Amino acid sequence: MPAPAVVLRQAGRRFASHDAVADIDLTIYSGERLAVLGPSGAGKSTLLSLLNGSLPATSGDVEVLGTRLAGLPPARLRALQRRIGIISQRLDLVDQVRVLHNINGGRLGRWNSLRALAALAWPHADAAAIAALDRVGLAWAVHERTERLSGGERQRVAIARLLLQEPELVLADEPVSSLDPARAAGILNLLCAPARPVTLVVSLHQPELARRHCTRAVGLRAGRLVFDLPTDRLDDRVLDNLYTLT
Amino acid sequence: MTLQIDAAREPTTGVAAAPVRRATTGRTVATRRLIGLLLVLVPLVWAWQRAVPAGDDVVNRGGLSLVADLLASALHPQLSPGFLAVVLDAAVVTLTFAALGTAAALVIGLAGGLLLSDAAWHRRPPPAVRMLRLLLRGVLVAARSIHELVWALLFVSVLGLDPLVAVLAIAIPFGAQTAKVFAETLDGVPAGPLQALRNAGARALPALGYGLFPAAAPLLLSYSFYRFECAIRSAVVLGVVGVGGLGQELVVSLQSRNWDEVWTLVGAVLLLSAAADLWSTRLRREHAVVTCSDWSAGKGRSSRSVRSRWARSSAAIVVPGLIVAWLASDVSLSGLTSPRTRELTGRLLEDMWPPALPPGGWPALAEAVPDTIAMAILAMAVAVAVTMVTGPWAMRPRRAAMDEHARPARRLLRGALRSASRTLLLVLRSVPPTVWAVIALLALFPGILPGALALGLYTGGILARLVAEAWEGIDTRPRDALRAIGTPGWLASTAAVVPPSVHHLATYTLYRFEICIRDTAVVGVVGAAGLGRLLAENLAAFRFPTVTTLLIASFALSIASELFGRRLRHALRAPAPA
Repeated sequence: MPAPAVVLRQAGRRFASHDAVADIDLTIYSGERLAVLGPSGAGKSTLLSLLNGSLPATSGDVEVLGTRLAGLPPARLRALQRRIGIISQRLDLVDQVRVLHNINGGRLGRWNSLRALAALAWPHADAAAIAALDRVGLAWAVHERTERLSGGERQRVAIARLLLQEPELVLADEPVSSLDPARAAGILNLLCAPARPVTLVVSLHQPELARRHCTRAVGLRAGRLVFDLPTDRLDDRVLDNLYTLT
Repeated sequence: MTLQIDAAREPTTGVAAAPVRRATTGRTVATRRLIGLLLVLVPLVWAWQRAVPAGDDVVNRGGLSLVADLLASALHPQLSPGFLAVVLDAAVVTLTFAALGTAAALVIGLAGGLLLSDAAWHRRPPPAVRMLRLLLRGVLVAARSIHELVWALLFVSVLGLDPLVAVLAIAIPFGAQTAKVFAETLDGVPAGPLQALRNAGARALPALGYGLFPAAAPLLLSYSFYRFECAIRSAVVLGVVGVGGLGQELVVSLQSRNWDEVWTLVGAVLLLSAAADLWSTRLRREHAVVTCSDWSAGKGRSSRSVRSRWARSSAAIVVPGLIVAWLASDVSLSGLTSPRTRELTGRLLEDMWPPALPPGGWPALAEAVPDTIAMAILAMAVAVAVTMVTGPWAMRPRRAAMDEHARPARRLLRGALRSASRTLLLVLRSVPPTVWAVIALLALFPGILPGALALGLYTGGILARLVAEAWEGIDTRPRDALRAIGTPGWLASTAAVVPPSVHHLATYTLYRFEICIRDTAVVGVVGAAGLGRLLAENLAAFRFPTVTTLLIASFALSIASELFGRRLRHALRAPAPA
C-alpha cells in the first residue's frame, strides 16, 4: 500500500449552526483517483476546501501530504498549498492578462516576489511554460489575451496552469459540470494523466465519468459519507440511494 | 385565455418552499409614491420660500445693464497679443496645478485604497492595521468633506501665495476621494482568480500583481483620467484665492469689469476643459468603462471594440508631461519644511482652538446652515431642469434610434441638436461656478438665489452628462419586445425606457446633491450666502476660532447629507456611482 496523501479523522466543518460536513473518516492513498459524488449542497465543495486548508476544519483532524493542518503557521500552510493544485468550474483566470501570466500563476509560489513582478512586466515564455501549454494543445496561444479565447480553450489554460504548478495532489471541484460529454472526457483525461502520478480528488455530478476515470468513489449526502467503494462496484442501487430526494 | 401558470407545482420539485411573503398591495405602492412626491415637493417649496421671501425684490435692475454689457462684449473678446500671452501663461499654470495635484492625489489614493480594500488583504488584517484603517477612514471622510477652495484658503494662511497651495488643495480632497473609490474598485473585482493564486501558495505581492491589478487597472486608469478632468476645473476655481492661473485672471477681469477680457478667459477655460474632457472621455471609452457604475452592472467589457492608436499613445506622454510640469512650474516642496511654515502652522492650529461662534452668535450659524441646504436644493432643481431639457438630446445615438429609414433631414437635425446640447453642457460645467456666481450677482441681489442659480448651472452641466451616459446604457430590448408585439413606439418607450431613466436621474441627483452641499462653499466665497460666505468672511478677517466652528458645521452637514443620501439611495435600491 502506498503512503496516504490525505487522512481525515472525524473531520467536520460547521457554519454558524449548520454542519456542512461532519464526521468524515477518509484516507486517500497516493496515486488514487477519488471521485466525490453527491447531490447539490451535500458538502462536496466544503470537503475539498478542507483538504487544502483554505477552510479550516472546526472539528476532527485533517492531515494532507504528511502535514497536520490544524494550527499550521501561514508560511508553512502556503508552502503546503504550493504542492496542492486546485481547479474549479469557475476557472478563476484573470481575463485581462496574457495566457502566459495566467499559467505562471501556478508557479508564483515557487518564485520570489521580485521575479514574479519582473515576469509580469517582461513576459518570457520559457520551455516549461511552452511545454505545459503544448500538453493542452495551446502552445500557439501563449501571448494571447485570455479573454480572447473560447470557453473550452480557457478551460485548458486552467489545466496548463495546474500542470505548471506540478502539484502532488489535485483537487478538482466540479471541473466538467458545464461541459458536453466529449469535452468533459478530454478534461478528465488531462487531469488523470499528468507527467508523474498524482493523487486526484474530483467532485462530479456524472457517475459514468467516475466509473471511467477514477479508481475509487465516495458518496456524500447531507455532509456525511454514505459509501466508499471502488468505482467498478458503483451500481444503480448505490446511486439511487445517494440521489433520492427525501 | 387559457395560458395559466401552475403555482401549485412548485413544492413537488423537492426544493424547500420559500417562507410565504406578504404580497405588496397596490395601496402600499400608491402610498410610497405619495411619500416620494412629498419628499421632492416639500423641500423644494421650503427652499424657494427661504430664498425668495415674499415681497422682496429679487432682480437687481441696476445690474441688468451690466449683464447686457457683459453679453454684448461676447462678440468682441480681448485678443491683443499682450493679453493673449497672459492668458497662455495662466493656462499653463492651471494645467500644471491640475497635473501635479492629480498625480499627488493618485499616490494618496493608491496607498489609501490598498490599505482600505478588503481584497488586498489575504486574511483579516492584524489589529494594528485595523486601527490604522479606522483612523484613515475618518481622516479621509473629513478631508473630502472640505472643499478644495477651503483647503486652499487654509493653506494660503500658512504658505502664503505659493503655487504649492493649489497643488495641495487639489491633492488632499481628491486623494481622499480617490482612496475611497480605489478601495471600492479593488473590492469589486471578482475574487476568484486572486483566491486561486493564493491557494496555489503565491506570496502576497505577486498574488496582487497577477490576480488583482490586471483586472482593476482599466477601472483605476479610467477613474484617474476622470479625476484629472475634474482637477482642471478645480484648478480654475482655485485661482480665486490668488495663487495664479486662469481663475485668478478671471476674477481680476470680472472685478475690474473688463468684460472683453472675461470672454477671452472664458474661451481659454473652455478650450482647456474641452480638451481634457474629450481626451479623458476617449481614453476611458477605449478602456471600455464609460462610467464606473457599469462595472457593478457586469457590463465591464461588453463594448471593448474600437481602439485607436493615438489616444493610447497619448497616454504615454503622461509621465514625461508630469516631469515637465514639475520642472517648469515654480512648485517646490521647500515651502513645506521651512521654519516659517512650521511656525505659522503651529500658530494657525493654536489660533483655531478652541472654536468660537461667528459674530452674531448662534443665530448667525442657525441661519447659515439652512441657507446652505436651501441653496443646494434649489441648485439641484436647476440642475435637474437642465438635465431633463438637454439630457435626451446629448445621448450618443443608438443604432435603433438612427434607423436607416429615417429621412436624412431628420438625422441631420438630430445631429445638430446633439452637438448643440453637448456644447452647452460643456460650457456649463467648464466655466467655474464662481464665474457664474459673479454674473448672477450682477443681475440678482446677493442671497441664496444667485448662488443656487450659479451652482445649478454648473452642476447641471455635470449631472446631464452623467445621466446621459447612464441612459445610453439602458437596455432597450424590453422596449423592442413591446414594439414587436404591436405596441405603439411612444407607449413602448414609456413603459420600458422611462422607468429606468427616472431611476438613473434620481440616483445621480441624490449623489450630486451630496457634492452640491460641499460646493456651496465655492459660491459662498464670492458672496452668495450660507456657510461658505461666513467661512470666507471669517477667513479674510483672520477669525480662526470661528473658522474652526464653521469647518465643523460644514463637516457635520456633509456627513449628514451623505448618510441621508445613502439611506435614500438604498431605498431606491441604487448603488453609489463613483
